[in-house]
Amino acid sequence: MKQSHNAKNFGPRLWRSLRQPLIAVAFGLLVGALVILACGQNPIAVYIEMFNKSFFTPYYLFSTLTRATPIIICAMATGMAWRAGYINIGVEGQMVTGTFVATVCALFIPGPPILAGLLAWIAGMIAGALYALLPAVLTWKFQVSMVITSLMLNYVANYITSYFVTYPLKDTAGDGLALQTPEIHELMRLPRLSTTSTFNAGFLIAVAVMLFMVFITKRTVFGYESKMGGFNPSFARYGGTKQVKVMIITMALSGAIASIAGTAEVFGLKYRYADGMLSSTSYAWTGLMAALIADLNPVGMFFVSIFLSGLQIGGSAIQRSLGIPLEIATIIQCCITLFVSVKLIFKVRQKKPVREDVKEGGAQA
Amino acid sequence: MSSAYIASIINSTLRSTTPILLAALGSAICSRVGVFNVALEAQMLIGCFFSIAVNYATGSLLLAVGAGILSGALVGLVVALLQVKYKAADMVIGTSLNLLVQGGTTFLLYLLFGLRGVLNDPKLVPLYKINLPVIRDIPFLGRVLENLTILDYICYIVAALLFVWLFKTVSGFHILSVGINKAAAESLGTKATRIQMQMVVLSGALCGLGGTALSMGQVTMFTENMTSGRGFIAMAAASLGMSHPLLTIFSSLFFGLCQGIGLALQNVIKSQLTMTLPYVATIVALVLFSRRSARRQA
Repeated sequence: MKQSHNAKNFGPRLWRSLRQPLIAVAFGLLVGALVILACGQNPIAVYIEMFNKSFFTPYYLFSTLTRATPIIICAMATGMAWRAGYINIGVEGQMVTGTFVATVCALFIPGPPILAGLLAWIAGMIAGALYALLPAVLTWKFQVSMVITSLMLNYVANYITSYFVTYPLKDTAGDGLALQTPEIHELMRLPRLSTTSTFNAGFLIAVAVMLFMVFITKRTVFGYESKMGGFNPSFARYGGTKQVKVMIITMALSGAIASIAGTAEVFGLKYRYADGMLSSTSYAWTGLMAALIADLNPVGMFFVSIFLSGLQIGGSAIQRSLGIPLEIATIIQCCITLFVSVKLIFKVRQKKPVREDVKEGGAQA
Repeated sequence: MSSAYIASIINSTLRSTTPILLAALGSAICSRVGVFNVALEAQMLIGCFFSIAVNYATGSLLLAVGAGILSGALVGLVVALLQVKYKAADMVIGTSLNLLVQGGTTFLLYLLFGLRGVLNDPKLVPLYKINLPVIRDIPFLGRVLENLTILDYICYIVAALLFVWLFKTVSGFHILSVGINKAAAESLGTKATRIQMQMVVLSGALCGLGGTALSMGQVTMFTENMTSGRGFIAMAAASLGMSHPLLTIFSSLFFGLCQGIGLALQNVIKSQLTMTLPYVATIVALVLFSRRSARRQA
C-alpha cells in the first residue's frame, strides 16, 4: 500500500505515479498546439506567452494561485466523494449553496463581526453538507442515480441563488445593473498576503484543506473504510463497515469542503456574493478535472489544480494579446483528462474488472 | 384557465419534448447494450452548434441537419472507442467530453464568427413550420399543433422504428442479447463489442439530431451551453422509460410538460424559480418511480 513510506524506493514510486499524468499533459499540450496552429499562430510562441503570464511573472503567479484556491478546494471535495465510490458531480451546487448561506449569514448575523464571520463559515459548511446529503439520502433510500440527482441540484442551486440576488437581497446602493449582495463587513475579510495583488489567506485555507485530506485518507479508520467502500463494496461490507454511515459522512464532508471553496472566494476576494460568480468560472468542473488527472491523490490534486489554474490565467492573457479564445485552456485540460483515462485502460485490464462492473451498475440503478 | 391557454401549454410541451426524446432514445439504446453513456450532453451540444454553423455557412437545411447528426455521431465514436473498446471509466470519459464540447463550441463560436455567447443572425434559415391546412382551422387541435417543425413529428417515428427494430427483428434481438449477457452473446458468435460501439455511435447521431431540434426548433440560434443539463434529463427519461422506446416517449413527454409549464408560469412567478422546475421534477420523478425500476433489476 501507499502508506508505508520508506525512503529507498520513494524515487521510483514517485516517478511511477507521475509518469502517466506527465505523458497526458504532454499530449494535451500537443493537441492544444495543433488547435493553436489551426488558428494560424505559432504554438511555441503562444505557449511561452501563456506560461510567462501564468507562472513566471510574480504578478501573474499570484493571480494563478488566487484562482487556484477554489479549484484546489473543489478538487478535494470531489476527491473525498469519488474515492469512496460516490460519483458526486454536484460540487458546484454544494459550493453555491454553502457560499450563499455563508454570505447571507455574514450580512445579517448581529454582534461582533469576527464572531459573526466565524458563524457564517460554519453555517455555510452545514448548508453545503446538507445539500450534498440530499442526493446521498435519495441514493440510499430510493436507489436513484447520484450522477443525475447531484447534477440536477447544481441547476436548482444556481437558479435559486440567482433569484435571491436579483430580487430580495440585491445591493441597491451601488451599480444598479449588477446582480450582487452588499459587501460583507471589513473585519470579516481574509487578509491579503501580497500588497500588489489580490492574493489572500484563502490560499492558506486551501493548503489546510489539502493537509486535512491527506490526514483523513492516510491516517484515519474512516479514510480506510471509505476507500474500501469505493474499491470493493462487498469486501467492505464483509469487513464490517457500516456503508450508510460511511456514505453520509463522506458526502457531508464533500459538501462542507465544497462550501469552503466558494466562501473563501467571497471572504478573501470578492467580499460579496454575485450572481454566477462561482458557476461561470467553472471552478467546480476544473476541480473535478484536477481530481481525475491526479487520480484522486490529495497532493497531486493540489498541484494539478494550480497547473490548470495557470492554464486558465495564461488563456485569458493570450485572448487579450493574441485573440485566441481563452477556452483553449478548457480544451487542453479536457484532453489531458482524456489522455489520463487511457492510463486507466491498463489498470482496468490488469486488476480492476470487478470495480468497474460495480460502478456501472451502481450508476445505472 | 381557458382552453387556448391549455392548448398553448401542450404546444410548448410538444416542442420541448423533441430534443429530450431524441436524446433519451440515444440513452436507452446505450443502456440496452450495457453501456453507461454520460456524454449525451456533449453529443447534443455539438449537434446544436454544427447544425447552426452549417446553416449559417450554406443556408441549406438538409446540410445543417446532417451536420448536427454527424457531429453528434463523431462524439459518439470517441465514446465508443475510449469507453467500449479501451474500457476507460465511463464517468471520466463522459464528464471530460461534456466539458470539452462546452469549451470547444465556445472556442469555435469565437474563432469562426468572432462572437461570444450567442449566434443569432437573420441569415439563419429556420426549419419549415408545419401548419396543415385542415387541422389549422380546428379550434383546439389547430393551436396545439401550431408551428411545429418536421422534427417534432419525426422523433415519434424514430421511437416507433427503434421499437420495431429492437423488439421485432432478429438483429434487434442480437442487440438486446448483448445487454442481457455479453459473454453469452459472444459465445453464440455475436460481435458484442462491435454492436456496443455501433449503438453508442447511433446514440450520438440521435443526440445530435436532438441538439439540432433544440437549436433549430422553437428558435433558430446557438447559445453557449444551450443544452443546460438536457442530456442528463434525457438519461433520467430513458431510465424512467425502462430503456423501452415507447415508454420513453411518455417519460420524455413528462419532462417536456415540466418545461412547458415552467415557460407558462414565467408570467406569474419569477423566471429564476420556474427554471428550476424541470430539474426538480427530474429528481422527484426518479424518486417516485424508483421502486418499480429497483424491482425490475432485482
